[in-house]
Amino acid sequence: MSNEVQPVTRTLTQQRIAAYARASGDYNPIHIDEAYARTTPFGGTIAHGMLVLALVGEMMHRAFGEAWCARGTLKVRFKAPTRAGDTVTASATALAAPSESAASYSVRCENQRGDVLVEGRASMAAPA
Amino acid sequence: MASAAPLSISALPRGHELPRAEFAVSRADAAAYAAAVGDEAPYGDIVPPLAVVALGLAALQAHVTLPEGSLHTGQEVEHSAALRVDTPLTLTGRIAQRSERQGFVVTVLEFEIAPAGAPGLRARATIMAPGGAA
Repeated sequence: MSNEVQPVTRTLTQQRIAAYARASGDYNPIHIDEAYARTTPFGGTIAHGMLVLALVGEMMHRAFGEAWCARGTLKVRFKAPTRAGDTVTASATALAAPSESAASYSVRCENQRGDVLVEGRASMAAPA
Repeated sequence: MASAAPLSISALPRGHELPRAEFAVSRADAAAYAAAVGDEAPYGDIVPPLAVVALGLAALQAHVTLPEGSLHTGQEVEHSAALRVDTPLTLTGRIAQRSERQGFVVTVLEFEIAPAGAPGLRARATIMAPGGAA
């Protein structure tokens, strides 16, 4: 089970964050209310963690297709806030040589400054 | 069935079972999600698993609220089957862990989302909420 996993890069604009709030129903003001967000330690709005993580899901789906949706596993920590306007790159590094039964990757999302935003592991199991 | 007022996640003890939530992801929901995240890959009838998780968490909002200042600090998802648009799904969940740390309550919400009698996905979301906000 050896698939090339190509990075995915996207700029998470405030417009995209607002669209994600509408699509997901997550209207936490830290994501969408600039006046409120300026009063928080973040000093401005930040992207939903699940929006950032969506880049990892997209990256794995591009590599494995429907199999990712049926047999993939993802485990991550959100390490740092993603500020509105950040350009985020999701990438994967294979952990050991993929076998017939499984493939595992270290995955991360970084912004344009090299800050690690999301870090964890993605795995693909072989068909049962 | 009468529905109780939603409870703050930081007030829920470990082991608390959440009410079942029923929902489905329509083709329009899936398209809105894909457009929002910018994923242009063809999924056909399949709903991106993270869309299922996000909309499942939205369905839980009828029962659980997040205090102002809450942060999502970790996420796990294990897919056992691809889930398709318009499939009736049931979310069952519980508070798997709860701890207090430096004025924050750290809660691990564990849940399964699946069609009746069929495999779906399992997920764990770690939420850090300001203490005393319950």
